[in-house]
Amino acid sequence: MAAAALVPGLALAQPGKKPPKPPPTAPTATGAGSDIEIDDPNQPKQPDTPPAGTGDPGAAGGGGICEIDPSACPKGQDINAAAKRDVAAEVYAVQQIYALRYHRFEVQPGWSFSLNDQFVSHLGPTLGINYYITNVLAVGLNGTFYQPFNSDSDFNFQNRRATRIAVPLTEYQWGANLNFTYVPMYGKFAGFSNFIFHYDAYVIGGVGALSTRPTPVIDPDNRNFSFKPKVAFNAGLGLRIFFNRWLALNLEIRDYIYNEQLENLQIAATQQQQQNPDTWFGENRITNAVQAQLGASIFFPFSWEYRLPK
Amino acid sequence: MRKTIGSTLVAAALGAFALAGAPREAKAQEIQITGPLAGAPAVRKLRLYREGRFEFSPGVSFTLLDEYRRTIIPGATLQYNLFEWLGLGVWGGYGVVSLTTDLTDQIDSTALRNSRTAPNLNHQGNAEPFKTAPFGDQTAKLTYFIAPQAQFVPLRGKLALFQKLFVDTDAYLHGGVMLVGVEERGNCGVDKSTPSCTDPKSFTRESRLAVAPTFGLGLSFYTSKIVSLRMEYRAFPFSWNRAGFDQRGGGTDGKFPNGITGNFKVDSEDRTFKFNQMFTVQAVISFPKPNVSE
Repeated sequence: MAAAALVPGLALAQPGKKPPKPPPTAPTATGAGSDIEIDDPNQPKQPDTPPAGTGDPGAAGGGGICEIDPSACPKGQDINAAAKRDVAAEVYAVQQIYALRYHRFEVQPGWSFSLNDQFVSHLGPTLGINYYITNVLAVGLNGTFYQPFNSDSDFNFQNRRATRIAVPLTEYQWGANLNFTYVPMYGKFAGFSNFIFHYDAYVIGGVGALSTRPTPVIDPDNRNFSFKPKVAFNAGLGLRIFFNRWLALNLEIRDYIYNEQLENLQIAATQQQQQNPDTWFGENRITNAVQAQLGASIFFPFSWEYRLPK
Repeated sequence: MRKTIGSTLVAAALGAFALAGAPREAKAQEIQITGPLAGAPAVRKLRLYREGRFEFSPGVSFTLLDEYRRTIIPGATLQYNLFEWLGLGVWGGYGVVSLTTDLTDQIDSTALRNSRTAPNLNHQGNAEPFKTAPFGDQTAKLTYFIAPQAQFVPLRGKLALFQKLFVDTDAYLHGGVMLVGVEERGNCGVDKSTPSCTDPKSFTRESRLAVAPTFGLGLSFYTSKIVSLRMEYRAFPFSWNRAGFDQRGGGTDGKFPNGITGNFKVDSEDRTFKFNQMFTVQAVISFPKPNVSE
């Protein structure tokens, strides 16, 4: 709802305000300094042939501009000089990109699951919102709620039973991040040489917090950990496959890097010490939690106008 | 006669309901494109990088999400593309490098060798106190891979990088059958011909052939007409005893170690399902030169 309230009414393809459409001009005499609207239906009918007596050689090749504005009419020497001038060929490789992002909001609902933890799976719903400052750069927020979905794997149990050693486990509660997204890649695919769809790929990175706690496996009778947020940096890659100009399938892989405080592998000697929380924590370890996210990308507003013709 | 009239009435009623429920008129119309694009294909002058071409693709694969060992597999694919959208070939490789994971190293260094762990952890000697032997020596290895397969290429397009670099790209699915050489802990405690599972000799690995389905997807980046780059994900799920533990076969439902209810036993029942995965990077050499579609 908040995102919807912030949605601008219209996204523009290029920076700058769209100029208002001028009202039809009143019929005036043509000449230097007067404004001419080529498409204006109220324009006075121009003569089919140039007026006699215009001996300027450039005027013959200048066409209508010489009649509209004689001062802008190119002369022979101007054309020669222009031919020698360096050309600033600012031509876009791709015109009218299918799904523009400039000044649009992107909402990313999805489901997140862990890729590199064989012992505990960290699953959860995730939601992100990005705002594209330029067509390729966005700033945004995302959050994931893990707590009810952490699951201990069967592999972990089998390993523990066979070797009589326990691997310290960690449970996630939530994560929230400020992100920057950069979109260096885009393209299109033809499916079965029949239909065409567009995609883009992006890199994402940022910083935030991840609330975690150890799962007591070494001494579960005495230890009861509370969740604590930790600073987490993240970096990842994503892919969007567009179904239309505002809806895309989103697949993202992101590494959350944070300093995890693990459960102490040693149990204190006395009951009193065992119940002292200061004896519960073991080593700190930099942890890479690689999460995959599958979801949708919904862009607001749904439509825009291109500034330049195709 | 009465039955016939009844049947007729029922049929008429059903027909009336069907007519009432049906829309009055179905409307559909083929979109008639006129002008120069009428009947035109979606893509013209497409460079046909695959159709009628052989491919030899040397590369290297890395197993993913490994529990006890990572395998690095130099290999190659030999393929012939019948059509632009279908190719048949064989991928093969050999696990030249097999590295133990951190978990394996941690178990090796911290797990106690005593009578309780003797059936599951490699050790020296037949009586306590046991001496430590490398845990990594009992963990299973993947050795060779042979996968006859088909590649299905539904998507063809291009990719722009920084609006400067453009490369023709296709996305494909592949599937087939994989023959995998597995070295895993041999049977023990099964009968008199096999050693006891607490005997250090029982931790010796034996070779076997596993058959698994294989499937995945990949991207081809056509950097030139002859050489291209391919990145591929492959899954090849099957059951194997990766750690060499006695972990199945006992209890009422067979989900407990045999040692719980009787003698320890390691056999095929201890193989557990694993969704094995790998990532491959290949340089693709294609010949002859590609054609261009109309």
